[in-house]
Amino acid sequence: MKKIDKISYYLRIYFVILSKAKELLLLIAIFFFIATQTSFAASPYVLPYPSAMPGGVSYKLHIVWEKIMQYWYFGDFGQYTYNLKESDKYLVEAKTLFEYNQYLLGFAALQKSNTYFAHVQPFLEKAKQDGKNITENQLALQQAAAKHIEVLQKMENETPSDFTWTPEKNPSSTLHIHQLIQQAIEERQKDL
Amino acid sequence: MRKIVFIFYFLFLISFVVFSYLFVDPGLFYLRFSFTNFFQLHRVITTCLFSLSIIFFFTFYAYFLHEVNRNTVSISTIFALSIGSAAVLLFAYPAMISFDIFNYIATAKVTFFYHENPYILMPIAFTKDPLLLFMHAPNKIALYAPFWILLTAVPYILGFGNFLLILFNFKLFSAFFYLCTIFLLWKMTKSKFKTTLFALNPLVLIELLVSAHNESIMLFLFLAGSYFLFENQKGKGSVLFVLSIFIKYATAVLVPLFIYATIKQISKERFFLWTTIFMYIIFFASAFREEIYPWYTLWFFLPSIFLFKNSLFTWITTTFTFSMLLRYIPFMFIGTYFGPTPLLKIVLMWIPVLLAALAYFTTQKKKQLI
Repeated sequence: MKKIDKISYYLRIYFVILSKAKELLLLIAIFFFIATQTSFAASPYVLPYPSAMPGGVSYKLHIVWEKIMQYWYFGDFGQYTYNLKESDKYLVEAKTLFEYNQYLLGFAALQKSNTYFAHVQPFLEKAKQDGKNITENQLALQQAAAKHIEVLQKMENETPSDFTWTPEKNPSSTLHIHQLIQQAIEERQKDL
Repeated sequence: MRKIVFIFYFLFLISFVVFSYLFVDPGLFYLRFSFTNFFQLHRVITTCLFSLSIIFFFTFYAYFLHEVNRNTVSISTIFALSIGSAAVLLFAYPAMISFDIFNYIATAKVTFFYHENPYILMPIAFTKDPLLLFMHAPNKIALYAPFWILLTAVPYILGFGNFLLILFNFKLFSAFFYLCTIFLLWKMTKSKFKTTLFALNPLVLIELLVSAHNESIMLFLFLAGSYFLFENQKGKGSVLFVLSIFIKYATAVLVPLFIYATIKQISKERFFLWTTIFMYIIFFASAFREEIYPWYTLWFFLPSIFLFKNSLFTWITTTFTFSMLLRYIPFMFIGTYFGPTPLLKIVLMWIPVLLAALAYFTTQKKKQLI
């Protein structure tokens, strides 16, 4: 009898360990499943680093340089590259400024980004009309649009819907930040 | 006897033109009727033929210099030989040993056909362009200076969209400036020997008339700038000199010298001595950028012509025009730019120069003993 008790005792311990080990194995499996998950960005397109920010002398020089470069990037593909590059630059500028709660400057940067982005597709169309193969550029534009949307959606989560700007001597004005972000997303969705 | 040598010289040039077509690129469908793939299949024979050609070229060169030295050949004969060489070599396949001519055409096409900026867009951006089938640097933006790109409008537009016509227009363009350089050299030196030393030099003939490198224009503009500088027309001289910089940037190293020569009086010999030294520096410095290409030798060879005398400097400079042509041999023989090729290039470049220096010291010693 004593022997039987002992065996049942050991069996019980064995089953407890087994059930715990199952749980442990399940936990390890879940951990590895989560840890080894590959996370993909919405688009492989790479945006530039933030460049000069408004407020300094270098920024004014930057603007002058930007205007000169407009002529340097002549041609359909040249203008396509230029407008996309500038749109990228101002999007990153807007994102950075919003992060620092510089809503007025960020708002202006996003407006510029939108203006440049709107010019990209027409130049690509013109290149197509001129008999140039635009397949790769079209793909790059799609990826750029996807990346912009990704950034804009994050931006929307991190910014207030509206912001009232009250200058010292002038009447206040309201910046409809989310409205502008929505416009920007819609503009980019056309190229997806 | 001289007439027979001249006939043989032109027969040799014609055979060199034929030989050049053994190098036709398999992707160059415009010349598919002449494609044999001989160069790829028979590397040993090709290398031997090329080496033999260099020896023949230099034998004729030595003969012409000897005849000029004996004063048995007139300057008009030298001009006739130069024009004749240019006329024959115009028909040589230009991408025999260098593919730069395809880059010139591609850059011109990006600018004047696609109306795009060649400093921003690479030829590879135009994915369906037939040039991509045979050009060797489609993934590079324009490497040349803006005035060159502007000038390429002439051979490109006059080609009326026909690739072969454009190709030979570029050759004609280079040949034209080669001849201009020779006439100017004669005008400046009034020396038959010095003119021949440059005009019939094999490296000059191969690089400017076969491969059609834009050095022909850069050097002509530099020489024309120097000519006006010493004619006291410093404004014209400076403009031409600046234009030479905007062909290939290499002459930019001479800016301080040119400014100095514009402000102060400097003798022609001193000016060309410093030009040669500066161009030697930039020649060796080019090894840090990519590699020393044989046609870069022309940068210091042309100014060194003005300093010609029986000196070590002249011996070395002239030997470089021989040894730099040998740099083509390792790739031709091995078929790769890697492995022992880079080392062999260096060895082949320096051994003749060292031998020349040794020969110079030996002859000088003998002279002293006599």
